Amino acid sequence: MPGREQLHRLRVEYGKDGRLAYLGHLEVINTMGRCIRRSGLPFSVGNGFARRIRLQFSQALPVGASSRCEYYDLLLTERVGEKDALCRLGDATPGGLAPLRCGYVPRELPALEAWLTRSAWEVSFSQGVDRAALDDALRQLLNRGSLEYLRGEKRKVVDLTQTLVGWGWGEPGVLTLQTRATNQASLRPAVLLSAAQGVLGREVPSYSVCRVGLWHEGVDGSLVEGLGTRSE
Amino acid sequence: MRLPRQDWYPRLEPLLGRVEKPSRYLDHEWGAVESQDGPFHACMIYPDVYDVGQPNLGIAILYQAINRQEGMSCERGFLPWVDMADLMREEGIPLLSLETSSPVASFDVVGFTLAHEMACTNIVEALDLAGIPLRAEERSEDDPVVFAGGPSVWNSEPVSPMFDAILLGDGEEGLVEMCSLVRDLRGRGASRSEILAALARLDGVYVPSLYQVEVGPTTTRWGKAVPKPGSGAPRVVRKRCIPDLSATDPLPQKIVPYVGLVQDRLAVEVLRGCARGCRFCQAGITYRPVRERPAEQVVRAAEEGLARMGYDEVSLTSLSTTDHSQCAGMLHRLNADLSLQGVRVSIPSQRLDSFGVQMAQEVGGSKKGGLTFAPEAGTQRLRDVINKNVTEDDIEAAARNAFERGWRRMKLYFMIGLPTETDEDIVAIPEVAQRVLDIGREVVGRGRKSGVSVSISVAVFVPKAHTPFQWAPQLELSEVRRRQALLLSSTHDRDIRVSYHDAEVSLVEAVLSKVGRGGFDLILEAWRHGCRFDAWTDQFDFSRWEEAARAVGIDMVDVASAPLSLDVELPWEHTSPGVSKGFLQREWRRAAQGVTTPDCTMTSCTGCGVCPTLGVDNVIWGDRHAR
Repeated sequence: MPGREQLHRLRVEYGKDGRLAYLGHLEVINTMGRCIRRSGLPFSVGNGFARRIRLQFSQALPVGASSRCEYYDLLLTERVGEKDALCRLGDATPGGLAPLRCGYVPRELPALEAWLTRSAWEVSFSQGVDRAALDDALRQLLNRGSLEYLRGEKRKVVDLTQTLVGWGWGEPGVLTLQTRATNQASLRPAVLLSAAQGVLGREVPSYSVCRVGLWHEGVDGSLVEGLGTRSE
Repeated sequence: MRLPRQDWYPRLEPLLGRVEKPSRYLDHEWGAVESQDGPFHACMIYPDVYDVGQPNLGIAILYQAINRQEGMSCERGFLPWVDMADLMREEGIPLLSLETSSPVASFDVVGFTLAHEMACTNIVEALDLAGIPLRAEERSEDDPVVFAGGPSVWNSEPVSPMFDAILLGDGEEGLVEMCSLVRDLRGRGASRSEILAALARLDGVYVPSLYQVEVGPTTTRWGKAVPKPGSGAPRVVRKRCIPDLSATDPLPQKIVPYVGLVQDRLAVEVLRGCARGCRFCQAGITYRPVRERPAEQVVRAAEEGLARMGYDEVSLTSLSTTDHSQCAGMLHRLNADLSLQGVRVSIPSQRLDSFGVQMAQEVGGSKKGGLTFAPEAGTQRLRDVINKNVTEDDIEAAARNAFERGWRRMKLYFMIGLPTETDEDIVAIPEVAQRVLDIGREVVGRGRKSGVSVSISVAVFVPKAHTPFQWAPQLELSEVRRRQALLLSSTHDRDIRVSYHDAEVSLVEAVLSKVGRGGFDLILEAWRHGCRFDAWTDQFDFSRWEEAARAVGIDMVDVASAPLSLDVELPWEHTSPGVSKGFLQREWRRAAQGVTTPDCTMTSCTGCGVCPTLGVDNVIWGDRHAR
């Protein structure tokens, strides 16, 4: 068995799509573990009580949200060609969670969850939405500084000045959001829109949410994509 | 008119964001059969939520068996949790199959697993949500034919009005025959009654509507079911039995779920049947004879299944895995092959002897969680009454062995309310736990840091059909509570933790185990009072059952605690697992005398009658490891 320093860190970008958007984060983690075992890749196993695959994930995606850019890091005991690894994972993974790209990254990079903190989202409304009113509601929320909401029975507070980086309008009926996860909280689009409905005093049309970007944010504000720091 | 077969997922999807665990309703799992072209369509329903039903090996076996047939498709169905069921009713969405989100009422055949008595209101709920008439007699020519089968068919009378046909025993061949018959006869334009008559001619198939209930001086108040004149139905329906397990698919489980399940692992059935002869145990009678799967097939299936499905645990399942004659070799080989891949091998329970501990060591390796044993009774006298062939020495030797091998936590299962039980037997339960704890302290040392602890879990005895204790009364509710209090007050050591089953749940279970066809009125009324998911502690509401019982004029305590005489004709005697009533009567008498009966797979035939009656035999591949 190779020592930890001899392991190879393979970063895999995958999507979350269709019905599988309704999987919870733990369900995705378990499913990916099984996909990796099915793929036959030479994965490394931890030494803990449960002897799990050495596998780390980027930040949890809300249940119901789809994504074009989720990541996991898998430690391998042997270096497998990227194309081959992608092919083997693709053959072993349900279509709704299909791997899109992969590459080796330096072992010393921080854990994915802490490293990839900037997100871009598309919120697609099923019907026309009053853009000006929604813009105004979002501005009012931002001016308040923070947003309180209930998650289950827990009261949560999100600092919008830190977590809501910006918003705009893309395709017709598509709101784009830029958010940042901090050590204290991350902002879920559904939470923001629910608060906006409160400000508007009426419901917005039904919508779907998709994460379309996930980056590391440098101290200078520059954005590095998940596979932007590959090792040789 | 039967509901048209069409995809309702677009109607269901908007509800997913509003319910707990939406992944229960998604389908599209790895290994699910995507092509559902039919033209004959069956839906197998486990009457509980997906996470409980999906690991059921019976459903997996039947799903694969039907889907293998040319021109037949089989989908799965589960009961939506209460939040989703209520939303579906609000939105006018009927119960749907999983694979194609088609209305269950659009299928040719709908099959239910009778997993346990407490699922009965869930079956009513499922039929109602599906829009299928609850009583078989109310169904029209075009409605689905509704089947049932599974471990709890052995007193099917109280649920029988809901089913067109009930399959007794092993289902892998019988269900395919039933589906083929429905397909062929429907294709020829046969009427529903002609189909039912033909089903009744198949081995192992009980068609309730062809029987009438007769109450007489030799029966209980629930009467007995006898064939209607001219129906051609057999007086006694005997179960189906696969003679050779090795001829069946060792790897029927092919679907890898997304949801965390109750049993989230690969399961390989290593043997069917158990001949230990515990007198309270229904499965020990109804799954006879013992049929082992050869070790080589088990190991190959486990390795192939793990590679194909990606699980990190494989469970070698059966009623008594450590009794398999090749158990040690099987476990040793699997561990050697799999441990480096981080794959755990598990067995569902351990024998209460040193061999059991040795096997637990084999599967656990250096990882020591808790170890579970089932002495079932506190005194040797009562263990002899129930035929639990375990001695004080066995318990102590197993405990010592386990502590010496590194285990620190021991869990012991017991029952209260067993026939002939006295207060002395109750007090002896914590005494057994104390002896085990003392052995642990002697081996490991005293004090909190040693980590030695014992927990005891105490169930309430429920007399079950086709067991030697089927004539026994259940303890009255007040007496159960007194004995539970006695148990608690007799437990003095802080390192012994006691938990016991809800006496009210056990009472309802006993009622459902003992009533005849007339008991369906109680089930229906309970469901109308809001009962569903009664096996879920947070959903079970005894007051609703009490109200329902009052409404239909049933005194539940009276039903459960009434003793029955040995010569009375019981409501379930027209269905037979092949074990003779004479054997059960003999076992009841031996119990009263405290005389034990050995396991026929380790000694010689004990005359239960199953082998000559069904034309089968025990299939044992090596030498069974007797104590």
